[in-house]
Amino acid sequence: MALYYRSSILNSMIVGEPIISVRLMIRRLWYSLKEYGSQGTLVFLLALGSFLQGCGLIFDAVELVQPLARDEMSAICSRGQLRVGISVEPFRPFVFPAVFTDEGVRVTGLDVELIREVADALTTYCGGQKPIVPTLHLTRFRDLFIEMNEGHLDLFVSSIGGNVPGARPAGLWYSIPYFHNGGIGAMIQNPEVAEKVRTQFQHQAGNPDTLTAIQAGLSGLTVAAQRGRTSHLYAEANLKNIRLLICDSLPAAVEAKDPRIDVILSKHSILDYVTKRVWPDWRLLTRNDGTPLILTQESFSIVTVEEHRRLQWFLNNLLYRLEELGRLEHMRRRWLEEDYAPTRRATLEGLPFEVSKVPEHYDQGQCRFATGR
Amino acid sequence: MPMKSRVWLFISMSFMFVLVWSSIVWAQALREETEKTAQQLATLLNVGRLIVDRNQTLINDPRKGDKGFTPEVFEYEVVDEFIQQTHIDLKHLPSHLPFLAKELLPQLLQSSKEVVADAQLVINQRGIGYKNFVPATFGSQAARKFSNRSHVKIKQTALNPRNLKNTPDAYEENMLKRLATQPAVDTSIMEWNDNEQTLRALIPLYYSQDCLACHGEPRGILDISGYPREGAKEGDLAGAISIHIPVQSR
Repeated sequence: MALYYRSSILNSMIVGEPIISVRLMIRRLWYSLKEYGSQGTLVFLLALGSFLQGCGLIFDAVELVQPLARDEMSAICSRGQLRVGISVEPFRPFVFPAVFTDEGVRVTGLDVELIREVADALTTYCGGQKPIVPTLHLTRFRDLFIEMNEGHLDLFVSSIGGNVPGARPAGLWYSIPYFHNGGIGAMIQNPEVAEKVRTQFQHQAGNPDTLTAIQAGLSGLTVAAQRGRTSHLYAEANLKNIRLLICDSLPAAVEAKDPRIDVILSKHSILDYVTKRVWPDWRLLTRNDGTPLILTQESFSIVTVEEHRRLQWFLNNLLYRLEELGRLEHMRRRWLEEDYAPTRRATLEGLPFEVSKVPEHYDQGQCRFATGR
Repeated sequence: MPMKSRVWLFISMSFMFVLVWSSIVWAQALREETEKTAQQLATLLNVGRLIVDRNQTLINDPRKGDKGFTPEVFEYEVVDEFIQQTHIDLKHLPSHLPFLAKELLPQLLQSSKEVVADAQLVINQRGIGYKNFVPATFGSQAARKFSNRSHVKIKQTALNPRNLKNTPDAYEENMLKRLATQPAVDTSIMEWNDNEQTLRALIPLYYSQDCLACHGEPRGILDISGYPREGAKEGDLAGAISIHIPVQSR
């Protein structure tokens, strides 16, 4: 191997020898080191170290000009995909159970429509050359947080309440709400339960206190909530005198026969939908004047990781814009108030999802009593 | 003309005649084989639809998780039904079957199995009743998968399809209008178009009693999947399986 004569910095170091063997250079260096002993070796290593420091500076300079580690937005643009987590447990009308359509397996709902909006906005952000395709990862609710933290998702949307204490795991960020007035509600089968709660409200004439009425009204009853959801957190924190049953999903709570469940807590908008269209044997727990009983207010957010600042601003700005344009309100009305068939909407506007990411046989799970209360 | 030349002319003419005659016979045989293949493909797609229809109660059972309606079970039932309808064993295709059918029937069976495989997640959801895995959605997907991997195109079509992708082309529309005015017949329409370059086959489908739960009376009222009912009666024309075989496949 030889260095060829060129007017370069390297060759200027070897003046007088237009062509020099690298092997010869190494041999000379070796002899010099031997001649100067351990002190010479130390000086050589220090010199080498200073050169490596220089390398670091060069890397920093290059990164300033052209970042080597791309931010999350550039990564989405170059990938052409937005990796979105969505809960496999249905939360109608936010996420309907997956159905088969003429186009294949599809999932639909308010959350899915929102994902479409995010993907469309990202397409524009990325220059509009190629569409950003939302790739849905249907996974169990509890696994969404793990998948997010492990970097398998860009964001997740599954009617996640962001303003309930204990709902935000460390390392995750919650957007401004896309759904306000979510609230935690309750549904019952036995009218006596409603009477018990209403009696408590009657005692408070002129001085309403929902928490006190609920604590007394539900005392001694078996109350179910879904594991990890805000209704679970609410019950754990506020309802000490109930028998709390933790269920893997809302359908699991509805199906549970032993023990008999008196009250199911969940998001009011979901309970409102399912009592009207899915489980007519259940009814919403209401106040004395017939208005729905909301235990606490809750708003839903999009979730991503704490570090994704650019994506966070993108999402917040987009949600604000959608609110401003009335699009979010339109979505709410469309999914919560209109009369429609979810299957047909799935065919027309549903999104496909990665089947490989879904538990092989989705089972709605079971219920068990909460421990350590 | 000398005798020798006449003999040569006669031999040449005879040779030409044999050549032309054999090519006509050969072409006729290929036409028949292609038409037979189209008929068998339509039968196979329809058998798949029938098996999906027969398993509706199982598929929509909300109490069961794993339904056991696997692609293998589906295949077993399809093979069994296809033997009953055509005396052809899809697992051991008989040697007398047209070459094209030998190539395409396994492809359609494989496509149909893949559709059932893709639907496993939906089928095996517990706690969910109606899943929209019905003959029509199965048929659309199976036909599409098959058409994507083959030069032969299969499509379900109807005069007023629920899925706009199944809208008939001009030829299909004409044929469907003709079929709609006729009493239910068990015969297919086979036509060679584009200067004998393409076989267009239309195999009519008629509403049976099972179909009327979604497609029957009262007209306009939404069915379980959210589409307005057609107000159909048993024996009315539901649509057709349309098959398009270009000449290169012969």
